[in-house]
Amino acid sequence: MRWTVSRRFAISILFVLIEICAWGRTRPHYGGTIHVEIAGDPWERPSGVARRLVYDGLTQFDSFGSLQSSLAVSWEQDNSYHRWQFRLRPGVRFHDGTALTSATVIASLNASCSAHCPWDAVKAVGSLVIFTNDSPMPTLPSLLASDQFLIALTSTAGASSTVGVGTGPFQVNGFTNGVLALIAYENSWSGRPFADAIEVRVHRAVRDQWLDLSLGRADVVEVPAEQLRQAQQQRLSLHTSPPVSLLALLLRDDGALANVKVRAAIAASVDRSSIYNVIFQKQGEATASLLPARMSGYAFLFPTDRDLNKAHELRGGLGTTSLTMSVEGDGAVQLAAQRISLNLREAGFNVQTVPAGTQRADVVLRTLSIAGDDPAAALERLLWDAGVPAPVTEQLPDALYKQEKAILDSRRIIPLLDLPMAYANGARLRDLRLRADATPDLAYASLEDTR
Amino acid sequence: MRAMRLVKAVILAVCWSAGFATLVAGAQQQEKWTQPAAELAGQIADILGPGQAQLTIRNLSVIPASEIPAIRKLLEQDLKVRGVIAGGAESANLIRVTLSQNLRDRLWIAEIVEGNDTRVAMVRADALEPTATIASGDRVVLRKEMIPRLVNRLGASVSDSPIVATAEINGHLVVMYADRIAVFSSSGASWVETDSFAMGTRPVRDPHGILSPAADGGSFLAYAPGTQCSGSYSLPLNGDTRVSGWTVRCRPSDDPWPIYQTADASSAPSLKAFYNAARDFFTGVVTPNIGTDLPPFYSAGLLPRAAGGAALLITGIDGKVQIVENNSARIVSGTRDWGSDFAVVRSGCGAGTQVIASSSGAAENDSLRAFVIPALDAIPESNVLIMNGTVAALWTGQDGKSAMAVVRNPAGTYEVDRVTALCN
Repeated sequence: MRWTVSRRFAISILFVLIEICAWGRTRPHYGGTIHVEIAGDPWERPSGVARRLVYDGLTQFDSFGSLQSSLAVSWEQDNSYHRWQFRLRPGVRFHDGTALTSATVIASLNASCSAHCPWDAVKAVGSLVIFTNDSPMPTLPSLLASDQFLIALTSTAGASSTVGVGTGPFQVNGFTNGVLALIAYENSWSGRPFADAIEVRVHRAVRDQWLDLSLGRADVVEVPAEQLRQAQQQRLSLHTSPPVSLLALLLRDDGALANVKVRAAIAASVDRSSIYNVIFQKQGEATASLLPARMSGYAFLFPTDRDLNKAHELRGGLGTTSLTMSVEGDGAVQLAAQRISLNLREAGFNVQTVPAGTQRADVVLRTLSIAGDDPAAALERLLWDAGVPAPVTEQLPDALYKQEKAILDSRRIIPLLDLPMAYANGARLRDLRLRADATPDLAYASLEDTR
Repeated sequence: MRAMRLVKAVILAVCWSAGFATLVAGAQQQEKWTQPAAELAGQIADILGPGQAQLTIRNLSVIPASEIPAIRKLLEQDLKVRGVIAGGAESANLIRVTLSQNLRDRLWIAEIVEGNDTRVAMVRADALEPTATIASGDRVVLRKEMIPRLVNRLGASVSDSPIVATAEINGHLVVMYADRIAVFSSSGASWVETDSFAMGTRPVRDPHGILSPAADGGSFLAYAPGTQCSGSYSLPLNGDTRVSGWTVRCRPSDDPWPIYQTADASSAPSLKAFYNAARDFFTGVVTPNIGTDLPPFYSAGLLPRAAGGAALLITGIDGKVQIVENNSARIVSGTRDWGSDFAVVRSGCGAGTQVIASSSGAAENDSLRAFVIPALDAIPESNVLIMNGTVAALWTGQDGKSAMAVVRNPAGTYEVDRVTALCN
């Protein structure tokens, strides 16, 4: 009898919970301020949260990874991908009222890549931006969707960009006391965002971010890959991307690393499984491939196992080699760097860590961005991001595999882990979604309690 | 005795049909893999040459495990034809086949291991077709029917732009998008775009609007935030079929919008409401005055009452559904899970009129359900009809008996469904 009563009670509670959990897909409300907290810098490349809120590219990826128009409404190539022309969207204005023209676009593009652009020349003809190159550029539209080529208004001096003036859905309103204030851009070509403002609190420890989320002081917080399991246990409302970021070692090809066998020895000595299992708590995937498995389908062809004997064999009995390593990232990436140093020591390398950004570091540990649904374009963007640009002209999987294998055989990039990115949102925020590059698209998010 | 024989004959026929259908399905499945199997076997044989090799297959794709033996058989046969005998665990050579996939293709990859040397062969295989699900019903049954595909003149689908409203007028399908009105002509199994007219609207992230066909069957009015358009049809000169015959003119306008289809209203007077173009909702100010103040709302419909007359039903921006009658607005209970839009349909079943509302709950796909509101409670009266994605817009069809729903599916494309309430 008691069992029946308690069972009925449990069923009643279940129904009440179902009733509470059920809701209709109501329209988003306008207004309010979204509070975001991050551990890093909102402008940092490639995934700073403010970048794509303030700036647009000529092209963009939708949330499914397909290439879509943005500041360019159409584009076409001729001369076998040696020449591309992009037609600009009419009527677009920067946040300060300056009209978007092909001249402002070219000034921004030149400022972003200066002497190392993936094209030989870019010129303006009316509302057209025309790129030409000696080598074919089959993936240029995808490349222009990457973070590096976001369009900002540059100063009349031409060299540096005017900080924070773009065409995106939010404009910069100021930065005080560690809070970046953004306000809705009413004349956004893509439509006014739902929220009136966004406040980004920067350099906030993840633990403090989660505390603020639980207290209702934050609407969006970061969830690092290594803390995803913990976030799931705490039942945070999570938005997790597929693996969009590649943790990799970037190696110089001169000095102590001029010999490809020495670089191959480094590749063989890294223990990916311990980094994956222990430091990143089995999130993402250990990989020796540049493109993730979901994108290429052949990632398993590159073995991830550590082979210390092979590493010693490749070094050919050399004495201890001294290397410098810089680490771009914090938390788990720093721990991974320590683990890699130990791995390399066992293979006969003596690694000295130098500050991030050190120009002459032999080895750099950092994450590279992977986005979009076009493997060839993603590979070319990744190589560009890694500082070893190479045109990727192959589209078919078998040819792409051969090209990727050739790149990996040069041992300039040693892939380690494919990592997802994640954010958690508070109860009052709705319709948060991640872009293809896993940054939160707050232009479509709205607040429930604004009326 | 004769009856028994008849039953046996029927059972035999059913079994034979089922067996035949299974055989046909199996043969079709096998046929799908014939080409990639032959291609991969050819590449393997080119690398390995005639001889014996051990063959292993692993599946990292969505191909069902039940199809693996058939694939293995095909590969073995094709290898044999090219002089490679699969089998023999003692063989030094190994062919490791992985059935893989990426975002675009199904890939079959063979690693051919000869001693310390491993070479790779790779072919692309066909994608699998997605499967569909259906739902069952109760008192009133909701059925959906997708309107034919919208294509441009080149036959390419134009379903990736958000559809705001549609109406079938004079044999054409008029489709209102966020920034233009397009006219489609019927062409067999699809609608082909024959005309497009820019509306000059400001871009918005959550586009809404109303397309209101006129009673003459040859014109319409379209309302979008800050813009009003009028469309009229005249027969193309010289019977030219390459043009639609439609003319659409748009102008900036803050005029009030009609808030329900005339078919809803029957004999009731039309009611218009002012729209807040900057915030995407009706302000609550209506014309003519109905004697009571309305809160801001998203959608409205006219609901016939059993006692005669009609009541106005609105979904407020606060998520509450209210019924307005006798100069007062009262909250309708049982509507907690309703979305912002609803459609009033005259099905003739049960109470005669139902309200079809969307709901999403925790599910990925939205659903529709018909309700009756005899007093101040919304009572479910139909099955839950699962849609193919999220319901972006919902309104009463021109016949007043069906609802039209714009659905954004998980692939990001839009479809328009006609949802009809049938008596069960």
